[in-house]
Amino acid sequence: MPDPTIQSRRDFLLSTASGLGSLALADLLSAGPAVNDLAPKPPHHAPKAKSVIWLFMEGGPSHIDLFDPKPELEKLAGKTTPPSFKLPVTSATGSHRMPLVASQRKWKQHGESGLWISDWYPHIAAHADRLAVIHSCWADGLNHVGSVRQMNTGSILAGRPSMGAWTSYGLGASNRNLPSFVVLTDDKVVRGGPTNWGSGFLPASHQGTHFQKEGPPILDLAPPEDVGESRQRSRLDLLRALNRRNAARYPSDDELDARMESYELAYRMQSAAPGAVDLGNESEATRRLYGMDDKATARFGTSCLLTRRLVEHGVRFVEVYCGSGSGWDAHTGIEANHTNLCRASDRPIAGLLADLESRGLLKETLVVWGGEFGRTPFSDTGAAATSANYGRDHNPWGFTMWMAGGGTKPGQTIGATDAIGFRAVEKPYHVHDIHATILHLLGLNHLNLTYPHNGRQERPTITGGKLIVEALA
Amino acid sequence: MISCQKMSKSYWIDTKMKPVAICLVLLTILASAQQFTSQQRRHWAFQPVSRPGVPAVTSRDWVRNPIDAFLLRNLEAKGIRPGPEASRNELIRRVTLDLTGLPPTPEELQSFAADASPSAYERLVDRLLASPAYGERWARHWLDVARYAESTGFEDDVTRPNIWRYRDYVIDAFNSDKPYDRFVREQIAGDELWPGDPSARIATAFNRHYAEEGNNKDLMLARQEMLHDITSVTGTAFLGLTFECARCHDHKFDPIPQRDYYRLQAFFANTDHDDRFPLVAGDKLRQYESRLAEWEAATKHIWDEMSALLMPKRNYTPAQLLARYPDYVIQAMETPLDQRSPMQTWMAHLLASKDCNTCPVRPKPYLDPTFRSVVSKLAPTDKARFEQLDRELKQFEQLRPAEIPRGSGLVDVGGEAPPTHVLGVGLYTSPGEQVEPGFPSILDSAPPLISKPAALKSTGRRTALANWLVNPANPLTGRVMVNRVWHHHFGEGIVATPGDFGVMGARPSNPQLLDWLTSRFIEEGWSLKRLHYLIVTSSAYRQSSLDRSEARKADPSNRLLWRYPPQRAEAETIRDSALAVAGILNPAVGGPSVFPPLPKGAVTPKGGWDTSRNAADQNRRSVYIFVRRNDPYPMLNAIDFPDTHESCPRRARTTTAPQALTLLNSQLAADWARHFANRLRRAAGGDLARQIEQGYLFAYSRLPDSTEKDAALTFLSRQTEVIRTESRSHEPPEAAALADFCLMLINSNEFVYRF
Repeated sequence: MPDPTIQSRRDFLLSTASGLGSLALADLLSAGPAVNDLAPKPPHHAPKAKSVIWLFMEGGPSHIDLFDPKPELEKLAGKTTPPSFKLPVTSATGSHRMPLVASQRKWKQHGESGLWISDWYPHIAAHADRLAVIHSCWADGLNHVGSVRQMNTGSILAGRPSMGAWTSYGLGASNRNLPSFVVLTDDKVVRGGPTNWGSGFLPASHQGTHFQKEGPPILDLAPPEDVGESRQRSRLDLLRALNRRNAARYPSDDELDARMESYELAYRMQSAAPGAVDLGNESEATRRLYGMDDKATARFGTSCLLTRRLVEHGVRFVEVYCGSGSGWDAHTGIEANHTNLCRASDRPIAGLLADLESRGLLKETLVVWGGEFGRTPFSDTGAAATSANYGRDHNPWGFTMWMAGGGTKPGQTIGATDAIGFRAVEKPYHVHDIHATILHLLGLNHLNLTYPHNGRQERPTITGGKLIVEALA
Repeated sequence: MISCQKMSKSYWIDTKMKPVAICLVLLTILASAQQFTSQQRRHWAFQPVSRPGVPAVTSRDWVRNPIDAFLLRNLEAKGIRPGPEASRNELIRRVTLDLTGLPPTPEELQSFAADASPSAYERLVDRLLASPAYGERWARHWLDVARYAESTGFEDDVTRPNIWRYRDYVIDAFNSDKPYDRFVREQIAGDELWPGDPSARIATAFNRHYAEEGNNKDLMLARQEMLHDITSVTGTAFLGLTFECARCHDHKFDPIPQRDYYRLQAFFANTDHDDRFPLVAGDKLRQYESRLAEWEAATKHIWDEMSALLMPKRNYTPAQLLARYPDYVIQAMETPLDQRSPMQTWMAHLLASKDCNTCPVRPKPYLDPTFRSVVSKLAPTDKARFEQLDRELKQFEQLRPAEIPRGSGLVDVGGEAPPTHVLGVGLYTSPGEQVEPGFPSILDSAPPLISKPAALKSTGRRTALANWLVNPANPLTGRVMVNRVWHHHFGEGIVATPGDFGVMGARPSNPQLLDWLTSRFIEEGWSLKRLHYLIVTSSAYRQSSLDRSEARKADPSNRLLWRYPPQRAEAETIRDSALAVAGILNPAVGGPSVFPPLPKGAVTPKGGWDTSRNAADQNRRSVYIFVRRNDPYPMLNAIDFPDTHESCPRRARTTTAPQALTLLNSQLAADWARHFANRLRRAAGGDLARQIEQGYLFAYSRLPDSTEKDAALTFLSRQTEVIRTESRSHEPPEAAALADFCLMLINSNEFVYRF
């Protein structure tokens, strides 16, 4: 119950003699209930990570061709999957009755940790000792949209908040002039669209902001071209006068205050956001580090560099899609497909890890790599590895993700899939477990991060979630 | 009207029942009686709706109708005086926005001001309720509940071309004051109850609005997801109970055992969608069908040859495609028609409705949008032949009947339903006990009386559910709807959680009032317009929205309604009002949805966005804007448009910086402001003071006082200078300054809130 003796923020501002001081004060005093959603909140326990960077390889990269070598598969290649591996009712394209196909990659152990990484990821391999590679991930969805959504929200069905939204809800924003949760994609639409970064039943202020590739990063961030700085400012001054006039009649309606304040926040965002995304001040060396000097890597490299800047500016959660619109979805022609996408992402990711490390940011930034699922050991079309056309189907039953920085224990593998890389069999970790672990590193207990909805105290992990204890430093 | 199952005090027992049957029923009742604690049974929402006497109050002068007496009793008990009446301008603005979603025009303001009769306000209300804009506004509230969208969601978010007819159906239902009990029955079982009435069939689209994954090969999973959606939306929309928890286990808080969840689901066990049912009947339909058959016969040899040419170029033959489905689907399709189980028949029905590239059942070539997709792969001679066939086909065009209008909704796949099982953690792969259709047993544990419709291949199950829902003895259906209406008038329901009347939901702030309104609503034939009339003509509704510190001290959250609570308008009302004051709102009613341009820089959503070409279409009311499930129209989406993946009983009301950016910086808002300014100049010529007055009148429904007028004049002259100095504007500085003034009116709280 609000205490009527406490002055409303507006009363206070109106009563201060000078309007100049009041704007600075506006930042110190909370602005009313709705905008206050993003005010910083204390974590549940001491956090290891301040920010999360989620490198989302959309479409499903093949774990058995990247991080999880399976010599047994070479022996079984050309045969159908033996019953001992327990085939599901169906796979996404119904390829489960097709013959197995071995990986065509060259494998090596890397770093002191001796992690296996294939020749598709040579630059990331140089960072092997920074990675905690989880071989035993599994998920529920068969198809892209449900699986991408589950990786983001925990559920294959739409309507739930994404992890970025939960993070924003749990911790607030550390820079209130920027969104707390930013999404970067390639040109194509992510499968399932904005439901992947939606706030679900949480207040909309926590939803992810999809930054535009060209021009101002946020839709309608800048006024139309014929409106200059002074014109915009005096418009807002008129608006404030109109709103104050109206608010004088409703002195205790905080929501009116909040709405007034949201225009000032928008105005500040208008000047802060372009600076945060301006890569103009980055050195040539830095640009090279991210692969921006090479056409093949420039696109994802730009996204990765932008990500580092956003994290530096206090954005809590950045999700960066590589191959948005199911780019990695190699049902056919996996050799060409993965060669291209691995090339596009290898140097940028390696550069990001190196850059974060050299700036001292890696220890407080959790980097997560993975797709919505992995790929099957059986050939999707039945084509043999000798055919350029061979590919692999979706595999939610077992796949690899890795984490780096942000309080994770580096240079190790966790869990295992079976001998053909089909099912997670040793220490299987569900998507909910990945979510619980990410939130834990941010200082949030997934069981206590709740929001009332439809008669239930909803939490990010729905009814599941256990920590991947091996991953914690 | 078809008579309902009697549900008086002895409603469980039909007098025509045999004694054995009566014993069985009594046993069931006894068994279920033990299932619930007496506390669960005593929960307020499960008690019969009573008809409380109108309470006696001290300030009888204030009481215009019983609503006021019920509210005043609680106010007086706390020593709070009700608020003074709002000014005439405030009243007409409030009630016009509330009932129609549009601000009053200056002419309407004037004629209301000039009407000195004591019933001027009541006449205003009558006029508003009779306006088509009423249905457009209130249908939108129901569309939120119905999770209405015009595409499938999931990966491809494919357009459902005929589904907009449901939106028009709802608008018509509100405008014609269709009795709510009929409205409910049509939406649950219109196809069974009124098979000859196209609008009743369209109504069943209420439960067609589930999201759907077209490429899901696990058809049993697809079926189960559909049933889960329908069960939980039906539960919350009509009964105000949250069923989804009981999908996996007994509800932790409400008396909804998992068994009851699947018994409710069983009413829909044989239901699937039909997106192409004809909306013409009788001779017209027969004529169409016979002409179509003629045309099909005459062109069959052409289609056959075309198909034969294309088949080798397709990636997969139907047989190869079917081979990729799970064993149980292959088995179903290989079973002869007359030997298929109801479940196999159901799966075949679903498969046949798919018209995508990956479906083993190909639709007729002329209904297959992908039919020509591989023409480019044909060898030159084959391609030439194909084109020749295509030309031959055109010669039969005059034989082909014009396409008839079609609707989208639900049907039962046949008279026999597949069995329903209680499913372990909601998975179809873990079937448990088999159950029959049944109502939530806390409300009614008697088995429903289900009879198959005589002339229809349908189970009759949904009819039984529909009739039970609107039986006057059902304690929830009426209360839930009355509360929804109250919620929209006052910004908060008598029960603050309109979708949850369960244990975890809010308690009613005034249970007697809710019951009195509900019993009267039912008595008056479930008329929503009468309910609106009663509410908006009450003294409570006509109170000023001004704050009073002594009342606030006693009731800080205004739960007792000592003033009219200010409420931010929904996104649709903001947009429609802006178009209206700008003078560019196109008032056309109904028809296929429109696509206003997407903002510069916005990504075209998957599923497409076919921007409407002419400005008039772009400026239709917001309820007609196409709803792409995964990507709603950005301007509406920024301002709390609901997520259409589930029923939305109460929209979020957030205040965010991106909302401010949209209304401040978008091209859309700039256009509104420019048209608004032009209108002011047309109305007031070059007289700045008059322009300002007109601006206030359009945007705020009042004239500015002298301080406001002076401030605006100062702004206009300064802003003209600023714009001249900046010299970035293509418009004359005076015009641009006036547009800025208009834009800020639209952005201001007085425009965006209903006070």
